[in-house]
Amino acid sequence: MTLFSKIAGVASGVALSCTAMAAQADVLFWSTQAKPVEESQAMREQVLAGAGQGVDYQPNDAGPWLTRLNAELQSGSGTIGVLGGLHGDFAAMSPDDLVDLSDLGVSSASETFNTLAMLGTDKMLYIPWMQASYIMAANKEALPYLPEGADIDALTYDQLIEWAANVHEATGEPKFGFPAGPKGLKHRFFQGYLYPSYTNGVVRTFASDDAVVAWEKFRELWEHTNPASTNFSFMQEQLLSGDAWIVFDHTSRLAQAFNDRPDDFVAFPAPAGPAGRGFMPVLAGVAIPRTAPDMEAAKALVKYMLAPETQIATLRATNFFPVVDVALPDDLPPSVQAAGAAVAKMSASPDANPGLLPAGLGDKGGEFNRVFVDAFERIVLARQDIRAVLDDEKGKLAAIMEETGAPCWAPDAPSEGACPVE
Amino acid sequence: MTDAVASAPGADTRKSARFLYVSAVVFLCAWVLVPIYFLLINTLSSPETVTSFPKPFLPEFDMGSLTFFAGFAGILTALKNSVVVAGMTMVMSIVIGAPAGYALSRFEFRGKGLFRLLILLTRAFPLPLLALPLAVLFIRTGLDDTAFGLAIVHTTLAIPFAVLITFSLFSGIPIELEEAAWTLGCTRLTAFTKVVLPLILPGIAASAIFAFVISWNEVFAAAVLTIENRTLTAFLLQNLDTSPLHLKFAGGFILVVPALIFIFAVRKYLFAMWGIANR
Repeated sequence: MTLFSKIAGVASGVALSCTAMAAQADVLFWSTQAKPVEESQAMREQVLAGAGQGVDYQPNDAGPWLTRLNAELQSGSGTIGVLGGLHGDFAAMSPDDLVDLSDLGVSSASETFNTLAMLGTDKMLYIPWMQASYIMAANKEALPYLPEGADIDALTYDQLIEWAANVHEATGEPKFGFPAGPKGLKHRFFQGYLYPSYTNGVVRTFASDDAVVAWEKFRELWEHTNPASTNFSFMQEQLLSGDAWIVFDHTSRLAQAFNDRPDDFVAFPAPAGPAGRGFMPVLAGVAIPRTAPDMEAAKALVKYMLAPETQIATLRATNFFPVVDVALPDDLPPSVQAAGAAVAKMSASPDANPGLLPAGLGDKGGEFNRVFVDAFERIVLARQDIRAVLDDEKGKLAAIMEETGAPCWAPDAPSEGACPVE
Repeated sequence: MTDAVASAPGADTRKSARFLYVSAVVFLCAWVLVPIYFLLINTLSSPETVTSFPKPFLPEFDMGSLTFFAGFAGILTALKNSVVVAGMTMVMSIVIGAPAGYALSRFEFRGKGLFRLLILLTRAFPLPLLALPLAVLFIRTGLDDTAFGLAIVHTTLAIPFAVLITFSLFSGIPIELEEAAWTLGCTRLTAFTKVVLPLILPGIAASAIFAFVISWNEVFAAAVLTIENRTLTAFLLQNLDTSPLHLKFAGGFILVVPALIFIFAVRKYLFAMWGIANR
């Protein structure tokens, strides 16, 4: 036993000195973002090459990302210098495990984002890093089938359904595409687009009569949706292959279509419902775990990520937009120009109804999403009765809200204490 | 006359049996080769061709996708790590697994049945469940981020296969052969090395291939337990599912080729097992 502990002691000593040396050479940037190989390559070569210190950029799936981080936090010795992740990734962590970055002197231009980054405490636990949103895109071949009098930049859900129906009738194939695949971001469509547009809420109005109407409309749209959508996760692929002509997805999941064939596609705002044009941002942040081996180097890297030039380089690399005030240059890639214009039109539209990311759910974020995905699968795929499904799922949603005590976020009306499901 | 009558249906049966046999062989070959062939074509196609339909049957030798990976930082180191880890896994799982298989087949001991059951249990726990405590332990003992540490984990995954394959191999070799060797002056060890080992070499090769492929394909443990010394699978596979289609194909090709080369290299031993050696 003593021999074993001696060996273990020597081994860990060697390992510690090794990691200490490695840390001096490179800051490990452990990220869930910019995962596609081209984006990680661009992050390394164009964004982080100018950091003034060696940075080892390693993008990961959420599972290994969190497991490795937890292992370092538990063992109290770390190699990860800087964390990159979505708001939801950080919200699922314990606030004690992240270093307070309030005195770093950098923050986003949006107070909403800065408040989200405090994760319910009074300290900045991550720094907003970059943002994106979800938009619509269409093949230009679909434009002639737009319903009469419809403005593509101010569509309503009814017009969208009619448009998809026209295309369906003309081509004989359902050409609307929806990212309902295993890795698709369908839940965000319901939380940030469909529900706010029809019910002016997400949690409070989950099982309201307006919600029933919303699901009925979505069922109508599904009639003209490519049934293979349950396998689609990145709509750029179906745009390029022609399997879908009109699609909804994350801006960075449409980028390749615009960059490969900029003249063939248009980007436009999400449609509006009776309660306005609901839409939702995507927010990524950078943070430092308490086990970071070289705190000074990590803080320097976080500061560097927020510099205006870095933010523009990041935009080119990842199609995520800056969170600081910065003038965008004219020579941006086609995907960035198209998505930027669509997002700007969406936020500037007179009926805009911007929502926020789910907040305060902690590690229950996945279960919250599950409620919406389950409702979709039961209502749209299994064609169960809408009222019955909503009343059933409502209980699960209420339980999550009560357990986490999360207050309402926009567009739901503010609440005292946990957001109620009405 | 009676001969002719009897032989005609016999020839027919033989003919249709032969037809069935050939078409089964063709079908099985196509089952394996067609996907690999399409992988190759798409790897060597430009992004436009990859997303177009129908697919061409001849590659157009556009090296764009492969050139991208050639310039991808760290890919060669990752390939080297993968080979090192898979090699260590192979050796360790045979060195540990084969004696266990021999013992199971030749000796009677208490708890033998339980042992055979328990050995399968290492596969009963999903790695994402084990990864966190393993990573904590590895960080504390200094095994973290080493090829050896990862090889230990992969060996644990590969051992059940090594034990069960070698167990059935040893059982297939009559003990009389060994006994004959003992009477002719061999010790237990030399009888094993001179008589049994040459006979089971193909089986060893088969379990080595299993070990190699298990280690080569494993992502989760590799992604959590290594940082600087990532394996190719951990390095690429996580990023490929969100990459554009043409890079998915090229990346998939890069992941498949080394494993194929390895299997071709050891195929001689594998075929020997099925009695068609040296043909």
